[in-house]
Amino acid sequence: MSVLVNIQHVSKQYKEATRPAVSNLSMTIEKGDVFGLLGPNGAGKTTLISMLCGLFPPGTGKILINGHSHETHSRESKQAIGVVPQEIALYPKLTAWENLNFLGHMYGLKGEALKETIRMHLSVLGLEANMHQKINSYSGGMKRRVNLIAGLLHNPQLLILDEPTVGVDIQSKQAIIDHLKKMNREQGMTILYTSHHLEEAEDFCNVIAIIDHGELITQGKTKELIAQYDCNSIEEVYLKITGNKFRDK
Amino acid sequence: MKLLYSLYKEYKVLIRDRAGLAITFIMPTVLILIMTLIQDSTFKSVNESSVPLLYVDRDHDSLSETLEKYIANSKFFVITKKQLSNDEVKKEIAQGHYFIGIIVPEHTSQKLRERSTARIAKLLNSFSGDSTRTEAEGTDTSKIALNLFFDPITKKSFKTTISNSVERIISQIEMQGMVSALNAKMSETFPDAKPAAMETTPLVSVTEEYASYNNSTIIPNAVQHNVPAWTLFAMFFICIPLGGNIIREREDGSAFRLLTMPGSYFIVMLGKLITYTLVSLIQFGLMLLVGLLVLPLLGLPQLNTGDSLPLLFLIALSAGLAATGFGLLVGTVASTHDQAALFGAVFIIILAAIGGVWVPTFVMPDIMKTISVVSPLNWGLESFYAVFIRNSTLKEIWPEILKLWLFFGFTLGASYLFHKYKRMK
Repeated sequence: MSVLVNIQHVSKQYKEATRPAVSNLSMTIEKGDVFGLLGPNGAGKTTLISMLCGLFPPGTGKILINGHSHETHSRESKQAIGVVPQEIALYPKLTAWENLNFLGHMYGLKGEALKETIRMHLSVLGLEANMHQKINSYSGGMKRRVNLIAGLLHNPQLLILDEPTVGVDIQSKQAIIDHLKKMNREQGMTILYTSHHLEEAEDFCNVIAIIDHGELITQGKTKELIAQYDCNSIEEVYLKITGNKFRDK
Repeated sequence: MKLLYSLYKEYKVLIRDRAGLAITFIMPTVLILIMTLIQDSTFKSVNESSVPLLYVDRDHDSLSETLEKYIANSKFFVITKKQLSNDEVKKEIAQGHYFIGIIVPEHTSQKLRERSTARIAKLLNSFSGDSTRTEAEGTDTSKIALNLFFDPITKKSFKTTISNSVERIISQIEMQGMVSALNAKMSETFPDAKPAAMETTPLVSVTEEYASYNNSTIIPNAVQHNVPAWTLFAMFFICIPLGGNIIREREDGSAFRLLTMPGSYFIVMLGKLITYTLVSLIQFGLMLLVGLLVLPLLGLPQLNTGDSLPLLFLIALSAGLAATGFGLLVGTVASTHDQAALFGAVFIIILAAIGGVWVPTFVMPDIMKTISVVSPLNWGLESFYAVFIRNSTLKEIWPEILKLWLFFGFTLGASYLFHKYKRMK
């Protein structure tokens, strides 16, 4: 498999912070991987994802997505990624259809192809009957499903998911995970997944990286990591590496 | 295509935001109606025939009748005639029933005739070389007193204007009295001569005109002030729904998503800029219609829009861009919806106050007039005044227009830099 994301010696320190949020971090994500990025609060996950999305550049080091850097090839690198934020990043007074149609156009999609893509995703995630209802009338699970579709519309090479199943019912959670697995299997879509649901991560991801204090602690195939640390689950590995201390700010 | 869909999205979001729509369109309409109705009486009290005057005639002779006729013809006063004592007149005025009271004492006409005759006799005798003898020796030559009472709240300038008007009328009556006395004296001396007719109207007249371009003679009134003033206020108040819109996108993660899309965030910002500028132009059109169609129904003067609609459009567009730029800045700088609402509202109210929206700058003290030039609302308001009242052209108002465009450029630049700073932080 070839490398899709190449993170090389990346560091980032915020202006008023006493220590770097990300410190000399290097790792790669292979095409077709379902990559779990785990770590406690304040570990540097959000900063790393923000840099991967091109929100701001690394302080030092380089991030390449499909060989392109955000700094030199912003359009190409951004077109390659799809983002599903933890928040319901949708317009509550627009319908699901209006939201997805708008976001699809922002990705440069148009015409019948866009409509067909929206219909397909809505149908698979069980939202076709409600697509002309305003988002603010949706349940939490329905909103999460639309939020996911918004990141999938342009069939990105890398899908970045930040807690995609937080606060949803079991049925919605299952529908989301199944759809993502299908996209990964059938489209070869690479997925970068962050979550505090370690059981879900273990089930869903084939590769896992654990970061803490802005540094990469460990990275490997899920099963190999469990074996390497002589544990029974990723949760045990996680606790073994990061400890039991609270990470309150 | 991206911009078109961004505009469509903004339109949909805006049209479904009822509170935002109310702030945008209903608030300025209500403000224009209320403020114009309130201020109309103030403008009228100075400009029109509404000064209540109490007239006490104890003379019942030619002077008091002529004075009353002159006062009535001046169309400056609403006259009420009563027979009251001096104390009662004072009380009526002190209670605010009248702005001014005039008492013409008993025998005033008679006294005027006697004094006029005495003066004429003295004049004629001085011609004959006998300056010591007068035909009416022993005549009382002291001044005849008329009593004027003013409401204590009356401004000094207004009091002087009224006193001068009354004195001018009395001067004319005096002159007529002198001419009558002269005629009588001449008739005695030359019984066969026909009485001379002499005009007593002033020989010098002063023409008054408002200095304006294209011979416009529109007089500033409450409508001409309040319609543009509150329209500009509403245009700049757009910073609250627009700022809120930007913050909502940031809070719910939409801005984050848009920033991860190729080039989309700036397209979306451009979409907001165009949408809200169009909204401010619609506000302007709507407020013009209120001035043209609704205010006359309430007995107020109709708005006069001047001669140049394209120039009005240019001013409205410039003010709309300045207001939208300010909204973008508020939305970028503020961290929460509450901050944007508070900061936006307070800032606009201050800019409106110093810019002459509530109280026109021409009645402000000099220090405030100097300060007012820093307010973008003042630049817009002065431009509207220039077109509405003075029929100015672009040649006269371009500095104000340029200031609005520079303000727009400044707010855009500041928004961009602040947005960048926040992301890096």
